[in-house]
Amino acid sequence: MNGWVGKILRVDLTNESFTVEDLDLDLAKDFIGGRGLASKMLYDEIDPTIDPLSPDNKLIFATGPLTGTGAIAGSRYMVVTKSPLTNCIASSNSGGYFGPEMKYAGYDMIIFEGKAPEPVYLFINDDTIEIRSAAHLWGKTTHETEDIIRGEIGLPWKGEQFRITSIGPAGEKLCRIACVINDKARAAGRSGVGAVMGSKNLKAIAVKGTKGVTVTDRDKYREIIRESIEKNRSAAAKVTSQALPLFGTAVLINIINESGILCTRNFQTGVFAGAQKISGETLADTLLKRKRGCFSCPMACGRVTETNDPKFEGKGEGPEYETVALFGASCGIDNLSAVCKANYICNELGMDTIDAGNIVACAMELYEKGFLPEKDIGFKANFGNAEALVKLVEMMGKREGIGDVLAEGGYALAKKYSHPELFMGVKKQGLPAYDPRGVQGMGLSYATSNRGACHVRSYLIATEILGVNVKRDPFTTEGKAAVLKAFQDLTAVIDSTGLCLFLSLAEGFGPDDLVPLLEVATGADFTKENMILAGERIWNLERLFNLKAGLIKADDTLPPRFLKEPMPEGPVKGRVCKLDEMLPEYYQLRGWDKNGVPTPEKLKELGLK
Amino acid sequence: MKAMVKKIQVDFDKCTGCRHCETACSLSHTEKNCVNPYLSRIKVFMDPESGNSYPVLAGPYTDAKCTSKSFVVISKQKYNMCILCRAACPEKPFFFEPGTEVPLKCDLCGEPPDPWCVKWCTSEALTLLEVEEEVEEKV
Repeated sequence: MNGWVGKILRVDLTNESFTVEDLDLDLAKDFIGGRGLASKMLYDEIDPTIDPLSPDNKLIFATGPLTGTGAIAGSRYMVVTKSPLTNCIASSNSGGYFGPEMKYAGYDMIIFEGKAPEPVYLFINDDTIEIRSAAHLWGKTTHETEDIIRGEIGLPWKGEQFRITSIGPAGEKLCRIACVINDKARAAGRSGVGAVMGSKNLKAIAVKGTKGVTVTDRDKYREIIRESIEKNRSAAAKVTSQALPLFGTAVLINIINESGILCTRNFQTGVFAGAQKISGETLADTLLKRKRGCFSCPMACGRVTETNDPKFEGKGEGPEYETVALFGASCGIDNLSAVCKANYICNELGMDTIDAGNIVACAMELYEKGFLPEKDIGFKANFGNAEALVKLVEMMGKREGIGDVLAEGGYALAKKYSHPELFMGVKKQGLPAYDPRGVQGMGLSYATSNRGACHVRSYLIATEILGVNVKRDPFTTEGKAAVLKAFQDLTAVIDSTGLCLFLSLAEGFGPDDLVPLLEVATGADFTKENMILAGERIWNLERLFNLKAGLIKADDTLPPRFLKEPMPEGPVKGRVCKLDEMLPEYYQLRGWDKNGVPTPEKLKELGLK
Repeated sequence: MKAMVKKIQVDFDKCTGCRHCETACSLSHTEKNCVNPYLSRIKVFMDPESGNSYPVLAGPYTDAKCTSKSFVVISKQKYNMCILCRAACPEKPFFFEPGTEVPLKCDLCGEPPDPWCVKWCTSEALTLLEVEEEVEEKV
C-alpha cells in the first residue's frame, strides 16, 4: 500500500479494547481520506440524530494519503464527529507533527467509540497499543498533559519521540467550543470536537511511529515536490512566499481593515481604528520570537511569541489572523499582548479562539446595550476592556461564574439574554473575521458551510480580496454561486488529502497540481475529473448528514445584521449581504431542490444514498 | 594541498522546525520509496522551553555513553548539549535504523555533493557552502 498506510485503529472505550481493521481501498479512492473518508464512515456508522455528547457519538482522527509523505504542507489530520455546538457534522483540521506520526505508526485513522468508565489516554508505540489511566491528567492544561506524558515515557529522549494530542479543562468540562490541541499549539479548533473527546473521558493520544509511509516512485515524487517548492516560493506567489512567512496570517489585519470588512465591535462596523497596532506587521516588529512551520511546510505561518505588557504576561504560539481579529477588533481591543494572552489561555485550556472571540464580543455588545447586567458578569465588560477579555476567556474555559453560560456557545448566551440576533454566527458557530457585507461570495460561503460559519470550507477571500489567480469584484453577487461551488469541492479534496488549504493560496496552484501528487503517492488512478467529483461527493455527503440531523433550509442564512443593517462607514458603507440573490442559484448549481435537498439524480451521479 | 570542499552550514535561527529535511533525507536514503524520519540522517530537535528548533546532522557512531555531559548557552538560554551533539550513541535513541539498530550517518549525498536536505530546506537554515580547505593529497 502506498500513500495510505492501510490500517484503521478502532478503539472501544466502553470496554477498553481495540481492533485493527484494513482500510477499504475502494472507499478510499472515492473519498480520498481525511475529512472525506472519515465523514463517510461517520455517516455510515452513527445515527445523525444522536446527542453528540452521548456515548453513541464516534470521534475519528483521520489523516490523508499525502499526510507525512513529504508533500509540501502535508501535515494535516482531521477530527471528525457530530458537533455539540452546531449539531451538524464536524471536521476540524490540524497541522503540527501529530498526523504524520500517527501514519508512521501505521494508522490512517483512529476511531473512538463509546465512553471510558474513567479518564484514559491512548498510548501508541507502533504496534503496541495501550489504554492507560488519565486520572492524574484530568484537570491539567494541554501543555501540562503533554509534559507529564512525555515525562512518564522518559526524558530527555524517549518522551521527545512521542507526539501528543489532548484536550484541556475546557474539553473535560464539555465546553461546546472546546478544541483538540496537538504539539501544544496546533488546534483542531472548530465545532467543539474537544467536548466530544471529553464526553468520552478521553484525555489524550500519545503516538510514536517508526514505520514510515511509502510512495510508488521516489524519483517522480521528488520531482513533483521540487516543482511545488518552486511554485510556492516563486515571486508570483506573494501570499505563500512572502506574506505568510514574514508576517503570519495576521498580515491580513491591515488588508481586511482597508477593505472595510474587519469585524469590529461584534461586527457593528468594518473598520477598526486600532488595526495597525494589532497587525501582523506590528506583531513581527514587537512580540514575535520565531517563525514556526508545521511538518514539511515551507510557509511556516506559525508564530512563537512572548508578550511585552506585564499585565498580560505570557509566552506561547499564536496569534493567527482570526484570533487577532476576533479578540482584537471584534472586542474593540488594540492591545496585542492582551490578544496573545487570550490566545495562550485558549491553547492551554483547549478552546477555539474564533468562537471564544465571538462569544466575548457578543457578551460585550449585550453588556453595552444593557441586556447583560454587570451583576451577572461581576465586572465591567465594555468593548475595549482588555482585562475583561482575558478574564472572560479564562472563565469560559473553566466554566466559572458567567463562564458557565459562555461555554454553551454564543447563540445560547445571546438567547438567554433575549437577543439571539446579537450573536454573529451561522448554525450556532461564530463567524470568522470577514464582514460578509463587503464580500458577497464569502457571505454565501458562511451561510452554506456544512459545519456552520467557517472560512476554510471555501476561502473566497482569496479571490474577492487577495486576487489569487483571479481578482473578482467583492461587491457583486453575480457568478459567486458557481465560484463558491468550485471552491467548496476543491477544498473538500484538499482537506481529504492531508495537505494544508494554504497551499491553494499559492499563485497558480490548482487541481492540476494535486493530481500528480495523489497519483504518484498512492498509485491510484486519480484524474482531475474524478478528484473534483470526489470533492462534490464529500460535500453532498456532509449535507445529507446535516439534513438527517435535522438541518433545514432556514439554517442556511446569516445573522440579520448582515442582511438588514447597512454597513455604517468605510469602503463598504451602505452595503448589506444580498444572500437571497445567490442562494437559489447555489442550490440549483448543486443539483439540490428549492429546499436545499440533493435530488435523487444528483445522488445517483455521485454514488450516494 | 588546498582544495574546494563542500560543507553543509546550519543556521539555527532560520530553522522553522518543519522537518522537511528529514523527509527528504529518508526518501533519498532508502530503496523502498519510503518517507520515514526514523531513517533520516538529519534530525530536527525541538527545545520545548524556547520553541527553538535545531537541525543536527548525524555524525559518527560511538558505542559508549559520553561522560562529559555539559550545557550550552545560546542567546541567554541554557540547553542540554546533547541536543546539538551529532553522535549516534547509546544514550540518545536517534540516528539508528529501527529494528536493526544499525547506526546512520550523513554521507553528504550526491556526486558532487548536493544533499537532498539542503535542496528541500526552504527556510534556508541549511545551505551548501564551498570552502577552501587543506586536504590530504590522494595517493
